[in-house]
Amino acid sequence: MKIREFKERVFAAGAKAGLKDMEIYVSRSQISTVRVFESEIDDYSVSDAGGVGFRARYGGKVGYSYVEALDEASVELLTSGAKANAQIIDSDDEVFFFGGSPSYPEVEAFNTKLKDVSTEERIEYAKKLEAAALEADSRVSMVNYAVTGVSEEEVYLANTKGLERSFVKNGAYSFVAAVIRDGEEVRTGGKLIFSNDWGKFDAEKQAREAVAEGVSLLKAQTVNSGNYRTLFRYDVAREILQTFASVFSAQQVQRGLSLLEGKLGRKIAVPQLTLVDDPLMPHGGASMPFDGEGVAAKTKNVIEQGHLKTFLHNLKTAKKDGLESTGNAHRFSFKSPIGIAPANFYIKPGGRSYTDLIADLDNGLIIIDVQGLHSGADPVSGDFSLGAYGYLVEKGRIARPVDQITVAGNFFELLETVEEIGSDLEFGAPGYGGQIGSPSLLVENMAIAGS
Amino acid sequence: MLTERLITDVLLAALSTGGDFAEIFAEDTYNTAIRMIKGKVEEGVTGRDYGVGIRVFQGTKSVYAYTNDTARENLMKVAMEAAAALEGSHRVGSIVLARLAVEKFNPIVMEPGQVTQKEKVGVMRKAHEAASGYHEQISQVTVNYLDTDQNVLIANSEGLVAEDRRVRTRLSIHAVATKGAEKQSGFYGPGRHMGFEFFDKIDIEEYAAEAARIAVTMVNADYAPSGKYPVIIHNEFGGVIFHEACGHSLEATSVAKGASVFAGKLGQQVASELVTAVDDGTIPNAWGSQNIDDEGRKTQRNVLIENGVLKGYLIDKLNARRMGMEPTGNGRRQSYKFAPTSRMTNTFICAGESTVDEIISNTEYALFAKRMGGGSVNPATGEFNFAVSEGYLIRNGKIEKPVRGATLIGQGAQILQKIDMVASNLATGQGMCGSISGSIPTDVGQPTLRVSEITVGGRKEAD
Repeated sequence: MKIREFKERVFAAGAKAGLKDMEIYVSRSQISTVRVFESEIDDYSVSDAGGVGFRARYGGKVGYSYVEALDEASVELLTSGAKANAQIIDSDDEVFFFGGSPSYPEVEAFNTKLKDVSTEERIEYAKKLEAAALEADSRVSMVNYAVTGVSEEEVYLANTKGLERSFVKNGAYSFVAAVIRDGEEVRTGGKLIFSNDWGKFDAEKQAREAVAEGVSLLKAQTVNSGNYRTLFRYDVAREILQTFASVFSAQQVQRGLSLLEGKLGRKIAVPQLTLVDDPLMPHGGASMPFDGEGVAAKTKNVIEQGHLKTFLHNLKTAKKDGLESTGNAHRFSFKSPIGIAPANFYIKPGGRSYTDLIADLDNGLIIIDVQGLHSGADPVSGDFSLGAYGYLVEKGRIARPVDQITVAGNFFELLETVEEIGSDLEFGAPGYGGQIGSPSLLVENMAIAGS
Repeated sequence: MLTERLITDVLLAALSTGGDFAEIFAEDTYNTAIRMIKGKVEEGVTGRDYGVGIRVFQGTKSVYAYTNDTARENLMKVAMEAAAALEGSHRVGSIVLARLAVEKFNPIVMEPGQVTQKEKVGVMRKAHEAASGYHEQISQVTVNYLDTDQNVLIANSEGLVAEDRRVRTRLSIHAVATKGAEKQSGFYGPGRHMGFEFFDKIDIEEYAAEAARIAVTMVNADYAPSGKYPVIIHNEFGGVIFHEACGHSLEATSVAKGASVFAGKLGQQVASELVTAVDDGTIPNAWGSQNIDDEGRKTQRNVLIENGVLKGYLIDKLNARRMGMEPTGNGRRQSYKFAPTSRMTNTFICAGESTVDEIISNTEYALFAKRMGGGSVNPATGEFNFAVSEGYLIRNGKIEKPVRGATLIGQGAQILQKIDMVASNLATGQGMCGSISGSIPTDVGQPTLRVSEITVGGRKEAD
């Protein structure tokens, strides 16, 4: 059954069952990935799949349901499921079905040239990644990931208020990870690239960077426990931002799960820090013209020169606070209810290069990798304590690699103790909670546990 | 779900370019998720996952394709697309299917589809009341109810056809305690491979009160001292340390390619003699149990380490080919959207002979990690990172005070050697384990045990 026909059937069946407002959110992805091991295709996968999320009002409350097969049985499952689920809701929050914004921005997120990249080219790329990594250093004992993938996703949103919009985006990614062995010592180094511009993929450079990172950690040792001036490299800084991004969600604030509650308009970070959410960025991994409720997407500063300017809202949280939606309604997938997430969410770059920042650090630590963000960080308290790797810096120069340490602190304190912001903004892979970016951040004082 | 004729045709199409093994995994799953915040149901979602995954091997090359459209024409097309990634000519002429008699040792009494949403909400409300009424510092309680009824059909070119049904039920309680501007949380999430009768078998209020107790204890705790010192890891969810730091490195996914620290070490002493560890997918109704794995093989009890000696790995079909060993019933996947690989089921360190009191009273200074949070590991190096969600400082053989914010870091293989006391109180806890074949339910477990030295990360310097 085609999607528009399916929608009509669902809305008709729903009306018969007494459902008032109804909405379907459809997403469909085509994904193809290839992994190479020892010059052979180790793993190849293709898929074309998706599903339909449905929500509807019954008795004043809204229930959800979803299906993956577009058949007659699914029409019944969607309508009866949403109706049953509406009947257990006892939240008094007003839930909205949106008829549409007056206008929508043009957002470029589909690169037609990516379609011209053949499967053979991608296989070649993965093979090259493996070969280049093995060649980069004699101590590379194996390349455990040499992967490339392309994806195309279409989102379609329609409701009984007259909204009907769709959006297509595509992207490619490549990941390489090498195992480096030197005697008994084992290190790993990896590098991920994500873009919908195939011209940005350079297998040799990517492989060399992955290997160099692993090699740079050979002979790493711990440091004495204590407080250190710390430079969070851009990729670590963005991972920390990603972990704590939910503190800016109005939903978390209203649920009493964000310490930023009551801080709107107040200074929460150093003056040189500006945090932006930009869904309109050309070819951004999380760019979109409308959000999960069909509200036109727009760019905003969440923190502007240290001051908290806005939380991220959907229609429900905005109404509760007497504000307009910021266009951040988000459905993690067609299976999920409407929540809130940023789009392309990043700390605005400053003027200092990574090399400048190392000189500025003078004596301290550079953190280049952290582990355990999903367990060692608590968005509710802001506390984190993470296993880390990096380099000890003495007199503005990298002195030696460091491992077996933890770096501990608090996200909210970190925002207020950033000394310098790098110019090296780089985004990570787009995930379910937007695409996050940060430049490197120099922080005055972090608690390091070592020996 | 699919006729035998269609299965045979799809498998043969998948093998048309020289593949030597093909497999179909068809799935029809019903899910329920309900979320209650501050005592009010905010969201209820029910849905159905439906699709087919087709896998083809040629030697150790593997191709995987999946779709939601299970019409004959489309399945044949997807099988041909998968086959197109291989080069060669047809080697398998015919397939004779034979149904596997699956022994159902995970009885399901109250199917989730037969229980009303209101009854499910009733259990959540009990949990909410117990947690929110625990203490005045409890400021927020979130309760999540989940059930899933997964029906699978697995068929392959060796002639196997097997069907299985996996019903799982879980309730998780997340409590937040507030003191001034500080917030700390506590979590408990019991679950079983079982229907709604699960809630007749456990006292959900006890779990909810535990989640609240942890949050309140931690909001009133001081920061843990950092440094390298002994750590006593409590039973039940404490087993996550073995799961992450050792279990993943015993999966064929990392062993077969030589990427694991345990590769090539069968028969060698890899742990303290006090350590015996098992992965057992056959425990009736346990969270990580299954009648058959997702490759259609009966699950089994696998001894991984016996008295410190490495005895076995967790092996799936593809890696069995790479390793020249037999699969162990550990081929698992989240859904038809993932090719299966070697994964854990219920994995735990077996009971020892000490008591918890003996361990504590024989310890001069240590961190007592009573509840562990999650963690992660780099399987190539075995380096891990865990959060301690409820910790205490032990001094002179006694529990001195609660401490928070501690993280344990180290290297799995080294920690295994440093276990110097093991209690007899084996218990298991439930987790969702994420890896390349998706997020799957697994039990972790262990008795209380002592590690002579671990690096403890925290915000405070050691005193």
